[in-house]
Amino acid sequence: MVQSKLSDIELIEQTLTGNQSAYTDLVRRHQRFVFTLALRFAKRREDAEEIAQDCFIKAYRSLASFQGQSKFTTWLYSIVYTTAMTFLRKKRLDTDSIDDENTFIQIENQAGAYDVNNAENKSRSFYLNQAIGQLLPDDAAIITLFYKGEQSLEEIGRAMGLEANTVKVKLFRARQRLKEKLERNLKHEVKELI
Amino acid sequence: MTNVEEILWNYIDGNCDPEQQKAISSLIARDEVYRIKYQELLKLNGEFSAMELDEPPMAFTYNVMEAVRAEEAKKPLIATINKRIILGITAFFVVTILSLLVYIFANISWPAGEISTRMNTGLQMPDLKNLLNRPVIEGFLFFDLVLALFLFDNYLHKKTHPKHV
Repeated sequence: MVQSKLSDIELIEQTLTGNQSAYTDLVRRHQRFVFTLALRFAKRREDAEEIAQDCFIKAYRSLASFQGQSKFTTWLYSIVYTTAMTFLRKKRLDTDSIDDENTFIQIENQAGAYDVNNAENKSRSFYLNQAIGQLLPDDAAIITLFYKGEQSLEEIGRAMGLEANTVKVKLFRARQRLKEKLERNLKHEVKELI
Repeated sequence: MTNVEEILWNYIDGNCDPEQQKAISSLIARDEVYRIKYQELLKLNGEFSAMELDEPPMAFTYNVMEAVRAEEAKKPLIATINKRIILGITAFFVVTILSLLVYIFANISWPAGEISTRMNTGLQMPDLKNLLNRPVIEGFLFFDLVLALFLFDNYLHKKTHPKHV
């Protein structure tokens, strides 16, 4: 798949003149990150796909209102964040609480069961992804935005509607939790092998 | 311990000012607790940076663009018609009405003398029957028909030949 060499802003300008193929390029360029970010919130691939698709449609609708004062990605991730939060709020009507860490213990256990059957596929990055999947959505999103979204603390704050200092504290806590989960999963694995 | 980690994460992220940076660097060099922790966090930082993004399904882009196209098709026709065409039609009618008014006023023979509030029955109106004869009406209708066909063709063309690849 050949990626367009044009910048995000150039692709936006072309899209606004009616060139839909420019928007296709924009979607192709950012879909992996948007999908991953949506997956941090939704946990299920089907739901993440729905959120990500919804985000790109919303972005297309309001592309003309994008002022270019921030990076396009920051603007796009703020759409992902609000869409994902709306999705989770809707889901909360069916479940107990999305902020309850116990909700994710189930996912954790499922992941553990998967481990035993796929021992040969395990690597450090596998455990890292597994540990991220066990984090609360906000923690997982902040870590993903910081490490893979090329976003500064200020930009993450803008996307999530938080102060940069709050993001800094949240990032620190999220990294600690991720480290703990990673260590716990690895210890569990060592025990399995023994 | 948390405090040490916090200091070191700030150092790794580059959120310290040059003075703090220098102080932490010498702390790492001197203090073994800091050095070990720093190595551990640096390794973690490398792993976090190297984490892989998930791949959306193959048809993801196609599905998004299909939804975008459906969105475009839902827009009212007035928004899809070129504004120049609308302006052209407006200009045509404005010019026609103005010409007609100018012609009418130019051909009115105003009676000389004092202005009366009573209706002057002697006002001579131009003979519009000569203007609205059969060929003029037919020509006008033909123009309307051509314009309607042109707009309809434009609409169908946009629908069947979208600009995307």
